[in-house]
Amino acid sequence: MPVEILKETWTGAVQIVTLGATPAEGGTRGRTVTVGGERTLPFLHFEAPMPHRPALAVEIKDRRPDDWSPVLLRAWGDVVDDPGAWAQAAAAAGADLILLALSLTDADGRPTTPAAAVAAVRKVLSACSLPLAVFGPGQADADNELLVAVAEATKGERLLLGICEDKNYRTIVATALANGHLVNARTPMDVNLAKQLNILITDMGMPLDRIIMDPTTGAVGYGFEYGYSVMERLRLAALQGDRMTQLPMLVTPGFEAWKTKEAKVGNGVPAAWGDWEARAINWETLTALGLLEAGADILVLRHPESVRRLRLAIEGLMKG
Amino acid sequence: MSRYIATRAIRGANALVTEAEYMLAKALAEKGPDTPVAFPNTAYYLPVIYGMTGIAVQKLGDLKPVLRHARSLLHPLPAPRHWTPYLGETLDCGMATLLAAEAIEAIRFVYGLQPEPMPGFRLAGGTAFTSPDAGDGREATDGHLNGPIDDIQLRSWGIQLVDGRMPGFAAIVGCAKSNEVAVEIVRQLQRRNILTFLSGNVNGRSIIHQLIEEGVELGYDTYTVPFGTDTISAIYALGFATRSALTFGGLKPGQAREILLYNRERVFAFVLALGEVDDLKYAAAAGAINFGFPVIADTVIPEILPTGITRYEHVVSMPWNEIEGKDDREKAERLVQKCIEVRGVKVKVVDVPVPVPYGSAFEGEVVRKADMRVEFGGKYSRAFEYLRMVDMDEVVDGKVELVGPDFDHIPPQGHMDMGIVVEVAGRQMQKDFEPVLERQIHYFINGASGVQHIGQRDIAWIRISKAAADKGFRLEHLGKILHARFKNDFGAIVDKVQVTIYTDPEPFHYWLAKAREAYDYRNRRLADLTDEKVEEFYSCTLCQSFAPNHVCIVSPERLGLCGAYNWLDCKASFSINPTGPNQPIKLGRLLDPVKGYWEGTNEYARIGSHGAVEKVAMYSIMENPMTACGCFECIVMLIPEANGVMVVSREDPSMTPAGMTFSTLAGIAGGGLQTPGVMGVGKYYLLSPKFIAADGGFKRVVWMSSFLKETMVAELKAVAEREGDPDLIERIADERYVTTVDELLVWLEEHNHPALTMPPIF
Amino acid sequence: MALTGIQIYKLLPQTNCKDCGFPTCLAFAMKLAAKQVELSACPHVSESAKAQLAESAAPPVRLVTVRSDGAEVKVGNEVVLFRHEKTFYNRPGLIVRVGDDLAPSALEAKVAAADAYRVTYVGIDLGIDGFAVESVKGDPAAFAAAVQAVRRHSRKPLVLTAPSASVLGAGLEMLGAGETPLLGVATADNWRDMAGLAQKAKSPLIVRGNTLDELATLTGQIKDMGVEDMVLDPAVRDFAGHLTLSTLIRRLALKKNFRPLGYPLIAFPAAAGDPAVELMLAAQAILKYAGFVVIDHFAPEAVYPLLVLRQNIYTDPQKPIQVQPGLYEINNPKPEDPVLVTTNFSITYFSVANEVEGSGLPAWLVVADAEGMSVLTAWAAGKFDAERIAKDVKRFGVADRVSRRRLVIPGHVAVLSGELEGELPDWEIRVGPREAVDLPRYMREALMN
Repeated sequence: MPVEILKETWTGAVQIVTLGATPAEGGTRGRTVTVGGERTLPFLHFEAPMPHRPALAVEIKDRRPDDWSPVLLRAWGDVVDDPGAWAQAAAAAGADLILLALSLTDADGRPTTPAAAVAAVRKVLSACSLPLAVFGPGQADADNELLVAVAEATKGERLLLGICEDKNYRTIVATALANGHLVNARTPMDVNLAKQLNILITDMGMPLDRIIMDPTTGAVGYGFEYGYSVMERLRLAALQGDRMTQLPMLVTPGFEAWKTKEAKVGNGVPAAWGDWEARAINWETLTALGLLEAGADILVLRHPESVRRLRLAIEGLMKG
Repeated sequence: MSRYIATRAIRGANALVTEAEYMLAKALAEKGPDTPVAFPNTAYYLPVIYGMTGIAVQKLGDLKPVLRHARSLLHPLPAPRHWTPYLGETLDCGMATLLAAEAIEAIRFVYGLQPEPMPGFRLAGGTAFTSPDAGDGREATDGHLNGPIDDIQLRSWGIQLVDGRMPGFAAIVGCAKSNEVAVEIVRQLQRRNILTFLSGNVNGRSIIHQLIEEGVELGYDTYTVPFGTDTISAIYALGFATRSALTFGGLKPGQAREILLYNRERVFAFVLALGEVDDLKYAAAAGAINFGFPVIADTVIPEILPTGITRYEHVVSMPWNEIEGKDDREKAERLVQKCIEVRGVKVKVVDVPVPVPYGSAFEGEVVRKADMRVEFGGKYSRAFEYLRMVDMDEVVDGKVELVGPDFDHIPPQGHMDMGIVVEVAGRQMQKDFEPVLERQIHYFINGASGVQHIGQRDIAWIRISKAAADKGFRLEHLGKILHARFKNDFGAIVDKVQVTIYTDPEPFHYWLAKAREAYDYRNRRLADLTDEKVEEFYSCTLCQSFAPNHVCIVSPERLGLCGAYNWLDCKASFSINPTGPNQPIKLGRLLDPVKGYWEGTNEYARIGSHGAVEKVAMYSIMENPMTACGCFECIVMLIPEANGVMVVSREDPSMTPAGMTFSTLAGIAGGGLQTPGVMGVGKYYLLSPKFIAADGGFKRVVWMSSFLKETMVAELKAVAEREGDPDLIERIADERYVTTVDELLVWLEEHNHPALTMPPIF
Repeated sequence: MALTGIQIYKLLPQTNCKDCGFPTCLAFAMKLAAKQVELSACPHVSESAKAQLAESAAPPVRLVTVRSDGAEVKVGNEVVLFRHEKTFYNRPGLIVRVGDDLAPSALEAKVAAADAYRVTYVGIDLGIDGFAVESVKGDPAAFAAAVQAVRRHSRKPLVLTAPSASVLGAGLEMLGAGETPLLGVATADNWRDMAGLAQKAKSPLIVRGNTLDELATLTGQIKDMGVEDMVLDPAVRDFAGHLTLSTLIRRLALKKNFRPLGYPLIAFPAAAGDPAVELMLAAQAILKYAGFVVIDHFAPEAVYPLLVLRQNIYTDPQKPIQVQPGLYEINNPKPEDPVLVTTNFSITYFSVANEVEGSGLPAWLVVADAEGMSVLTAWAAGKFDAERIAKDVKRFGVADRVSRRRLVIPGHVAVLSGELEGELPDWEIRVGPREAVDLPRYMREALMN
């Protein structure tokens, strides 16, 4: 019995965005990463080719993290004491790009200075030739202070700067505009808020090909389904032609998964949770895989094994 | 456009271009065409020229085509007898002036005449004229004025201008009436965090001289930068503006129009001309107007009030002697206030200036009788609050006045009458927003620790605790709170706020009467505001996080289904937050007045629901009813057997004749799906003449939760009378008597409900 | 154009007899319009109405039930492609596979462990749903023995697969009369025998086709033999293939009402070999439309996240997951430690609990019954007011557990503080931050006195 292959036709496409700049383009990166360009839902190659495969970013910190799971620290070893070495290890683990998350304070509890932030960024840039995203500690004042310094010191690198949120985006957007960088627009799991922030950022004159949106998400078991559905809705709206939802999406399953109790805690948990390390990695893997299927263009991961697995999944999904 | 201004600007432009040509010819002869030309520490060459023409001037010879272009922009003087529009000509001449002025400054750099020498003067931080990294920069800031702003400072200030930390910049040209006035003006600007650029003179005396004499520190560090003592140096302000557009607007050199528009839309700058305005100043002002920067003069000059190139007025005259105010400070404040208004600069108030902690954490505080110092309103006294819109000139921003005694003479736990009158003015303010803003008074006042606010209008009731009073909280602080909060939260529509508090009985009663007139007017206005009288409805997508495909369409006669947003609220919300959840829906062609279909609403429903809903009938439950999220106050559901509908409220947990309780029904009514026969609504929609008008209107209601009957007694009575059946409400069953269809039918027969004899509902 | 509830209502008997299980004919009609029930639930509908309602008569993805003696797995009846459009209704069965080639002791150990597996997530007990017994050897006796071995350790519903109907039959015979296991696998080669067996056993049947055309042909043929309940296996085992075909099948069922493919799907992620890849393929199957997911590797650390993922994806987007209201202890609080209040919306609870837990600061957390809404939503809906909070503080006996009666309410509901003081007169009411992320700092700075 002949079965009709039911194809959807969409009018919209996801914006193509390139992170990083090579020397020829005014930066120093060995290569760039391009995401976006989808004309249909994730990996439905029979409807439209997926021109750029989703990218894997590995999150590193500017110093040894205080609050990371021992499982993660074990996996990376001593490199966590040096952002440059860490970036190299992340590249070796298969990262497409590096996400450097700046700490709020130094190891002694003093606020991170702009000079220290710039130094950490420089270390990463010189140690590793992958494109780089730099996120502030997530507090408005600190983010603005550190990111402006970083942006100015790395003019032309097409870094991805974050985090732009509705309460605090103008300074980061302004400095990204002035220094040729990109911004990461984060909103709390809501389609309309995501659109609104994109409108506000483009209103400042930021071209669409320099914005990535970050709809945020929850780990499996911790609000995953909200993030998942918001991403599906954003992508559907994008394909239906809604310009302000047509940005590639970055999500941080690593961050979300590794703050769950399942990943963080080894002792005193139910036996039914199984082996700690394997469970923690599974948690990150499944969160990331789900988001990949919902339309993620950049997955930010923390554990090298998750990177290996998601690489396998992406390869499998790209075989159309 | 004033012919007078046009004439003088055009004359000034001609003179300056001629002068520039002369200077260039001389320089070319003396120094040669290959002599390098540059402003210090900038990557934007001569920025105005670079931005406007795309020409990257690097040597003297490069200036030739620039001045040729400037000359081509010049126009002849308007003929004395012809009153034609001169706007275009004048603007062109203004642009020519800017190009010529920048060329002149560049040539002066070649001759070492820029930055302008000023022996003995030391900048408080300024452009480094060697290399930015050379030495401590001390020598670089001595003995001269600043000249152009360098790129590093541009980025630092530019970010603040773009991200809103700095509201805008002022280019002051000329010389103030006195040194004291000069200081006052600059202080007023600094107080508002407005960046100030200084240039120009009157008969050789510049505001820069005045400020130096008064010991005011000038330079980057004080946000007050002396460019030069002639008018030509004001070009550096526009170089700064041009580079802002190139740096932060992502614009390319040569995109003149885009650069000018960028400045008009985003750079909140203005020119303040002090003292006599000569031809050159007129010409330069015309140049500034190209950027959307208005000119305010403290002398008598012809005004250009109609808006066009600038957002509001182009040229405003505010002669110093005529400014109201008891001293220079007050006059300076008024003058600066005017500048801010004319440019539409939004200045925020950082802190709420009250002697008690302030913040949303205190919103719920209760001031109990025992802890109370004094109360206004309640059982023993009366308090009212009234917010009204007035003209810009009638409000002094930030003024708080107490008319009558404060509460110090009132015994502890006593009471007194008090009225709060808030007068607001704003370019975007509308009379319809008065009630929307007035309702905020409740939240704003409640934010103060130790102050409790209940009620609204003339049943307001405010208590101040003993602790707050001990810390110094007095009536004027209510005004300070309101000023700060209205400016900060509603700055998009409110430019000026003034608060008067009345405790003196005579004005208290006078204003109470006025307030009541206004309340009455608003009530009538609301009653009078029908769907037919407006051209747009509003969308509300606040709930899409729960019901992704649901869209509320809010019309004057149909409020949001949550009951929280009516049409006026949406309208105000849109003005305050133009990218927010309430967007206007242009109605377009009326397709069906009975069922309530418009082209615009249908199209919006389709887009807003992401294609899930094709059409929406504003006045029907039977055909394409409006969808619902889940936060409706009531559910209306068809009872086919009774030829009518029932209405169950969220508060009613009982069984209904539909065989389902509210919570079960909610599953059918919600989720953004269109289900004919079921609809979630706000309870006040039941009272609207448009309530399921296409299906027969309110007379179709055969059953209604008693909660609704009891909470809207008077309103429902009015509806019954409107429907021509004063006993209608008694004919409607409720859960106390009827919980099944069979019981319902018996009831309806017994009570002779009109639905039984109405045409079949489907 | 699908019929509306009112249009369907007109065709129904309009007697409100309730035989369909719904209170009124209109309510039933609306459920039918939403494709959430079958017309056959109404015993009184006329033949002419049936004809007119053909389009609306059955859900586009057939509901298939697999039963054991005492348990069942129901899958299908789905009406949307994306969960936000309505909801995904019936969670896919998570099935653990055992082959008859396993050593009996290994088989029994695996089944015993998997059968006993229980894990709690937001107060819900989760476990696997059944076992798939596969005849690897093709030997009836071995297969029957394996089925018997499984039954010794588990009463859960079964999936029985064998290369031929005769082998399959041998296993089937080991089961009790009331059981309707999922049988398989019917292919182009064996479908007649398989269908015959399924028909006789009144059991659902897995149908495997190497192309969609083949699959649709097979289901038509098998249906003609009287087997109504089928489960589709599109015979793809890789990421892209599974995603593509499961999407196409669901689309055809929903959008074209294409009956030959209007059945639930079964996925076999284990074929990948690598357990890590199996896990990801299983997750994809849960996300993308599978009705049964058959895994090979049973390990708690893998099954737990899969079960939670399934729970998440099959949550009704409009009925958020709730946490059991109660008094929760975080970081072993002592009587003098602070008492925080939040609502029982799972995400709200998790954000608060996670932040406090992460900070290492001990606290008591009162999770008030706000009907599963977040703080602001619940407050707006009147489900999180002073009265309710006070009631729960008393109900949970908080005062008996703490020495210092100090209650911290979320900053978003600061407005409740005054009323709450009235409701709980011997408590000090403090207003905390609006966002959970600011809690640790607040606890460190504002509560340290």
